Amino acid sequence: MRVLFLTLLLILLFGHSLKVFATPQTATQTPKGPKTTANKSTANKNTASDPGEQKFKENCGRCHNPPDSLSPREVKAVVQHMRVRAMLSAEDEQLILKYLAP
Amino acid sequence: MNRLFLLFFLIAGMTSRLHAQSDAPNVPILSGAVAFQGTTNGGATSFTPIIVPVFVAPLGDHWLIESRAEVQGFIARENGTTGPYSGHFFANLDYLQVDYIANPHLTVTVGRFLTPFNIYNERFPLWIANLVDTPIIYPIGTRTSGSSNGGMFRGVAVARPTWNLTYTAYASTLTTTENLQAGRAVGGRVGLFLPQAGLEVGASYQRFLQNGDSNITGTYFAWQPPRIPLDVRAEYAHSPGGQGYWLEGAYHVAATRDEDTWLSRLQVVGRIQQFFKGQQPTPADALPAVDVNQFDFGLNYYLPHNVRLNGSYGRQFSSAGNANIWNFEIVYRFLFPAWPGGHQ
Repeated sequence: MRVLFLTLLLILLFGHSLKVFATPQTATQTPKGPKTTANKSTANKNTASDPGEQKFKENCGRCHNPPDSLSPREVKAVVQHMRVRAMLSAEDEQLILKYLAP
Repeated sequence: MNRLFLLFFLIAGMTSRLHAQSDAPNVPILSGAVAFQGTTNGGATSFTPIIVPVFVAPLGDHWLIESRAEVQGFIARENGTTGPYSGHFFANLDYLQVDYIANPHLTVTVGRFLTPFNIYNERFPLWIANLVDTPIIYPIGTRTSGSSNGGMFRGVAVARPTWNLTYTAYASTLTTTENLQAGRAVGGRVGLFLPQAGLEVGASYQRFLQNGDSNITGTYFAWQPPRIPLDVRAEYAHSPGGQGYWLEGAYHVAATRDEDTWLSRLQVVGRIQQFFKGQQPTPADALPAVDVNQFDFGLNYYLPHNVRLNGSYGRQFSSAGNANIWNFEIVYRFLFPAWPGGHQ
């Protein structure tokens, strides 16, 4: 009985934590572009289907690798920072923003 | 210091309030790097722990506050190659600027900003630079501290699918306050970027308006062929104190840029540089007093979780004496939101 109670409690806690952290979890997931295998294979042929991915590679990839993870909460600040610092055009900024935080 | 913290929280709080008014959240971020460097130059060994915090706070779609500081230690033997180790710490504010993104072609910057001379100073902080040592010609165009205090216009003058024309124009005032030093200067830079070819060329000009006015010029070149994981960069700079160039190539051991294997995380780097002293050298130039030739060879390894290891060997040739230069660095790049809250 105690085991069952503890199991239920754990399930409840787990479920609650999922609910509580639902937004941050979504937010902290790795951006699709830089991490997915599909994108990498297409990029090998330099035929990225996503124009944002292409812009990311052309601009951001000149100086650094894609980040291991990038939360959508951080993306706007990062991209705006890089627009000023790396002289991104307004169109490129928007495409990269959509690519990193679809 | 308390005022700085108060300012930080005010800005962070203000931006988080703005969050609800925009499609994308205006969450400020805290980024930067922590590094530890070890150097042996001509037999003298030193160690340098560094932390470089970067704070960025977007205020809506047009305003941005950016700041970067640098706190570093320098630990070395008291007599160069003998004696006990002792150390001291420095702190410096690299930039604290307010940007107004006026339109697709113009951003107005006010405050303290990195001097936009050529590309090394603005684009290669320690977590991006392929080699630990800055190029010999780095002080040309970035006197007195690499930063300027004043105003700047910058942006993309022309944006086309196959080419971009970028520009900066700035004016800086003389500042002698410790940790906030800047030279009196005006200058600018233009660059042509061909994204599909991964090619960029540009030129810089600066009129240094102190210690006897002088003209400083520079050109740069960067090429990252899209299909090959090769990065080639070069700069040339000229000033009354001297002139020189560096040329650097870096190659990931992989067939393509997107290959991700343990071997592709290894990067081989080579750099050659030459410096020729000028007709009017002064100690304020922070340049060598003699002609110098140097080559460097390095290996970088990109570990998971934004950690990178660097190791390099260099040989410097000059009439002041030849020297071996060994460098080692471990650097961790961090990035996280500076304010709690979610995204609807």
